Amino acid sequence: MSSAGRALSCITPPHILEKLLDSDDSDIRQAALNTLLTTARLRGERSIRASLAPSAAPANGRRTIFDCQSSTSLPMAVLARSEDGSASTDDSINRAFDGFGSTRQFYQEVYDRNSIDDRGMRLEGYVHRGVKYNNAFWDGQEMVFGDGDEIIFTDFTNSLDVIAHELAHGVTEHTSGFEYHNQSGALNESMSDVVGSLVKQWSLRQTAEAADWLIGSEVFTPGIDADALRSMKAPGKAYDSELLGTDPQPDHMSKFVHLPDTEEGDNGGVHINSGIPNKAFYLVAVGLGGYAWEAAGLIWYEALKASTVTTQFEEFADTTYFKAEELYGAGSTEQEAVLAGWREVGIRITGVPGRSSAGKRAAATGGEPDMAALTQQIEALSTQVKELAQDVRSLKAGN
Amino acid sequence: MKVTLATHGGLAAGINIRLPPRVVDTATLPRPAAAELSRLVAAAKAVNASPAGDERARDAMSYTITVEERGQSTTLAQSDVTMSAQFAALLDWLQQQAA
Repeated sequence: MSSAGRALSCITPPHILEKLLDSDDSDIRQAALNTLLTTARLRGERSIRASLAPSAAPANGRRTIFDCQSSTSLPMAVLARSEDGSASTDDSINRAFDGFGSTRQFYQEVYDRNSIDDRGMRLEGYVHRGVKYNNAFWDGQEMVFGDGDEIIFTDFTNSLDVIAHELAHGVTEHTSGFEYHNQSGALNESMSDVVGSLVKQWSLRQTAEAADWLIGSEVFTPGIDADALRSMKAPGKAYDSELLGTDPQPDHMSKFVHLPDTEEGDNGGVHINSGIPNKAFYLVAVGLGGYAWEAAGLIWYEALKASTVTTQFEEFADTTYFKAEELYGAGSTEQEAVLAGWREVGIRITGVPGRSSAGKRAAATGGEPDMAALTQQIEALSTQVKELAQDVRSLKAGN
Repeated sequence: MKVTLATHGGLAAGINIRLPPRVVDTATLPRPAAAELSRLVAAAKAVNASPAGDERARDAMSYTITVEERGQSTTLAQSDVTMSAQFAALLDWLQQQAA
């Protein structure tokens, strides 16, 4: 294939390809024809794959679990269970594996999202990290679990909502990218709590009214006097004991906790002020009733995808309000529930019905575009175009 | 020598932020333990890698170890995702000691 042909297999729009079909150069005509044909074939294959998806075996989001064997070094971990392998004799490994599967299936079935990056990203987990490690985290690529000290905390693979919480951080990274400090960071944490609770509720087929709305209720040892790490229903009430102290989460903007944007300050209280949007989501879900992952969860998911790295509480609230309108109509029960939920936590929706957030901001600033939002959209589109170009090149190469 | 360990962040950040730092004073330790702590501190100080964690990490914990010795104070700070082996060894010792 000539360089002209390779250039034509990139991001050339169809109308240009069609014009090139009339070129005097036969190589150019052939290359344009090949590109148009393979693009059409690609579209056809995708539509066929889409129609087969419900019955196809899950090939994306393949799960792999590694055993750190008490080391803190991930590269030294040993393969413990792979997607197609048999169950382990180690329950921690199996719980991590199953939790990944539930979360993956939730995103696919409920929001039509193919794993964390919506492109089938592999799900990798590392269990038995360190000695008596009282935590689990997402390191940007994989999830890491500790066994707990068995005094206060137990094995973190015990909690499905914790597993889904961590994987949801990956989804946030591939969508809004909420910066992990101050209000955007609290939204980041809240979104993970929302998904954590939803995956648990979905796995149990629980309605919003029946759900416990607790995050990490299974990570404490039996003797510890605590409901959970956090309560979305009652922020500030998850625990209150001499050993653990009092749950510091606020449930209203008037109680927003101002902390320094440092490690010591929990990056401006991301795990603390998440109580406010958590409570708002709980109120919306219970206000609507039924399954929380349906209307409330969908509104939040769409708002997540429409948000940016620096989105603050008020802006996110506005976005949920507008997304509710887009999905269910202006003045719908869903939109009213969103309005009420945020109002109860002290956040007033500032948007005007029928206007997008960007449009409202543009109007407020005299028509100047929101550069941060536009930049992110352009970057996302550019990535999609590059991926499509790669697909076309692969097809042309006969892969 | 006085060594103070403070833990930040993590899933239980709301709990960690309220916990007082753990303090170990070599003057109160048996001689072998005091020597071991001194050795671990020296090794961690010698490496003293950048305190910055991976910005993509979520719910990872970070640790601030403050060493006060002969009127001088040294602060070592690292996170779950970037800590040196020497820092990890010192952290592990302090956590076992204070348990």
